[in-house]
Amino acid sequence: MEKETHQNIESIIEAGKMNELRKLLIGLSHEELERLQKLLNDPHEFSNEISSLLPYAIRKMVERGEISVDSLLPFVEESMHKSIQKNPQKLADILFPVMGPAIRKAVSEDLKRMIASINASLESGFSFRSLKWRLQAFTSRRSYAEIVMANSYLYHISNVFLIHKDSGILLHEASAPESKALEADLIASMLTAIRDFVQDSFSNAEKGTLDEIQFGSLKILIEQGPYAVLAVVAEGQPPADYRVTLMETIEAIHFNLGLELEKFDGDTEYFKLADKFLQQCLIKQKKEKKQKAPYQLIFLLLLLIAGVGYFVLINYENKANFKRFITELEATPGYHISSSRMSFNKIYLKGLVDPLAEPVEEIMKRFQKIEPGTLQASFEGYLSTEPEILQRRAGLLLSPPEGVEMKIENNRLIISGTAAADWEQNLELKIAAIAGITGFDISGLNKKITDLQWIIPSIERHRFLFDINVVKLDSLQQIQFDSLVQAAVFLDAYNQLYSRNMAIYVRSYTNRNGNVAANERVATARAEGFITLLENAGVKKALLKSQVLFAEDLRETVSLRTVHFSVFDNKPISR
Amino acid sequence: MIKKKIAMLGAFAVGKTSLVQQYVHSIFSDKYQTTIGVKIDQKQITVADQDITLMLWDLYGDDDFMKMKPTYLIGASGYILVADGTRSETIEVALQLQEMAAATTNNAPFLLIINKSDLSETWEIAPETILRMQQKGWIVLLTSAKKNLMVEEAFQKLASLMLNPY
Repeated sequence: MEKETHQNIESIIEAGKMNELRKLLIGLSHEELERLQKLLNDPHEFSNEISSLLPYAIRKMVERGEISVDSLLPFVEESMHKSIQKNPQKLADILFPVMGPAIRKAVSEDLKRMIASINASLESGFSFRSLKWRLQAFTSRRSYAEIVMANSYLYHISNVFLIHKDSGILLHEASAPESKALEADLIASMLTAIRDFVQDSFSNAEKGTLDEIQFGSLKILIEQGPYAVLAVVAEGQPPADYRVTLMETIEAIHFNLGLELEKFDGDTEYFKLADKFLQQCLIKQKKEKKQKAPYQLIFLLLLLIAGVGYFVLINYENKANFKRFITELEATPGYHISSSRMSFNKIYLKGLVDPLAEPVEEIMKRFQKIEPGTLQASFEGYLSTEPEILQRRAGLLLSPPEGVEMKIENNRLIISGTAAADWEQNLELKIAAIAGITGFDISGLNKKITDLQWIIPSIERHRFLFDINVVKLDSLQQIQFDSLVQAAVFLDAYNQLYSRNMAIYVRSYTNRNGNVAANERVATARAEGFITLLENAGVKKALLKSQVLFAEDLRETVSLRTVHFSVFDNKPISR
Repeated sequence: MIKKKIAMLGAFAVGKTSLVQQYVHSIFSDKYQTTIGVKIDQKQITVADQDITLMLWDLYGDDDFMKMKPTYLIGASGYILVADGTRSETIEVALQLQEMAAATTNNAPFLLIINKSDLSETWEIAPETILRMQQKGWIVLLTSAKKNLMVEEAFQKLASLMLNPY
């Protein structure tokens, strides 16, 4: 019993030692070892453990370049192929949600491309530009397509060559569909020869490679790899990062076809696989169309606006002018406008016009913008009763002398001032004949003796022949005498009005035959006698003076028994 | 498609360019034009049912002023040494060039062509000289670019050597 216990204790101690020893040797506890063993024995458990690590491991391998996506492709493709062969419906079901949008996208992309290509053909097909390009193509002996490409693209890569570095043999080439077929083999060799020549000739210079050859607008970009060279023919200036594309491409080709390149013995068949890499180098960038400001259109529009503006302004001005003209016409005395309109710069008027109104042509002259020819007026005559016209009419019919004022008040003619007596004669009758005048007032009109010229002859034209020693008027002479008296009265009035001192000489004639003194006495008596007659008729004595003249003293022949009259001006009398 | 680079080597005015012109374009011109640098031509032929494109690098003639540089030979699958049968010194040049070419092309197949075989009156190469070179294992052909004698055969021969070197 004791021994058994001792053994147990020993075995425990042993196990402890063993564990300790194990820990020291492999660093794992017994439990951990057991768990690992169980993991390895149970496939379910093991696959669980691995599954969490597997994606991480694959990613690591891809990163390290141990496997590439390209190397996985054949497996994926083959498994898909087998899957389709086995059950096509399954894949169709899987792809179903993707197919619809994909087809729609493809169709819409195709449509877009088609529209763009139609646009492009229309643009370059019938334009002046396309003619220019055709001429350019003809003169430069390049194809039309090339010229179009050169002019439409900012840059475009027409050819890509993959060239074996040592031999200069063309391994593969890709070219843009519209580019010209080149003698690619010769170009590849020649490029290599040029590169060799450059390297050979400038071998003393710092170590470098031939990267670029420029010829006019053409550029050949060269990207060197360890076994192969990529050369691209570019028209225009490719983007700055295009070099990176070339580098990546040559790297990818070396990565995928490195062995074939290294062991190249002239068979270019393998390098068809490089086509997809070369294709991605064929890029192009269409020139952005210059958004040229449509100056011509703007100019035309401005011209149009200016034209319309001018027309509107002129029209407005014409209308305003027309309105002012009509207003003026309506306000002008003697006009009555019944209708007026303006169309196409012509003025049409209808209405009544007084013959004494201001002529319409005169009114138009005050409106510079209205040409004389633009007026089409049809006026009918009428007699206006407007005060201005009445006044004008009265003035025309009465011809008032200076000093007479006429005005119209409520169609009545008011005449004031001073007028000669003869103007006043029959004035009332004359006024009554003026159309439109309903009454008159001439109380303010004073008579005026103005015309001395008619008084003097009317006095001096009288002569009276008497019998010897007789001063007596017969019936015929009496009529003449009354006229003389009237004239003498006028002369007196004239003297008073103008403070003059006109006098009448009553002349009697005799001769020096016989008793001169007796003759003179008789003549004086005849003159005095006539003065008495005049005094009796009402002529002031102060106005009359007797005068005896001898016939011998006169140049004219006079009858001795006649009495003549002469008016003369004494110096003015002061009042 | 098999493509091979062939270099034409030799002293100046031995007829390298004439041989290539005759072979590729079937033309010959008496006018001498010196080659500056390299002229490249290509010719498609069939050798043993195999289509092959020959890229012919017609190199400038080697002389005292312009020594042939090995750069142009790199990558050549074969080369043709050309000598002028009326100038014996051109054989010496060919011999020197062969040493350089062998080193550069890693012992690529080659032929020696002695050109101008139509000019028998001024012929200078003794049969012993030719025999000595043939004993070295060289293939020696007499050609006339002018009369188109053995020209095609020479290129054909080199092509078959390149395809089956042993």
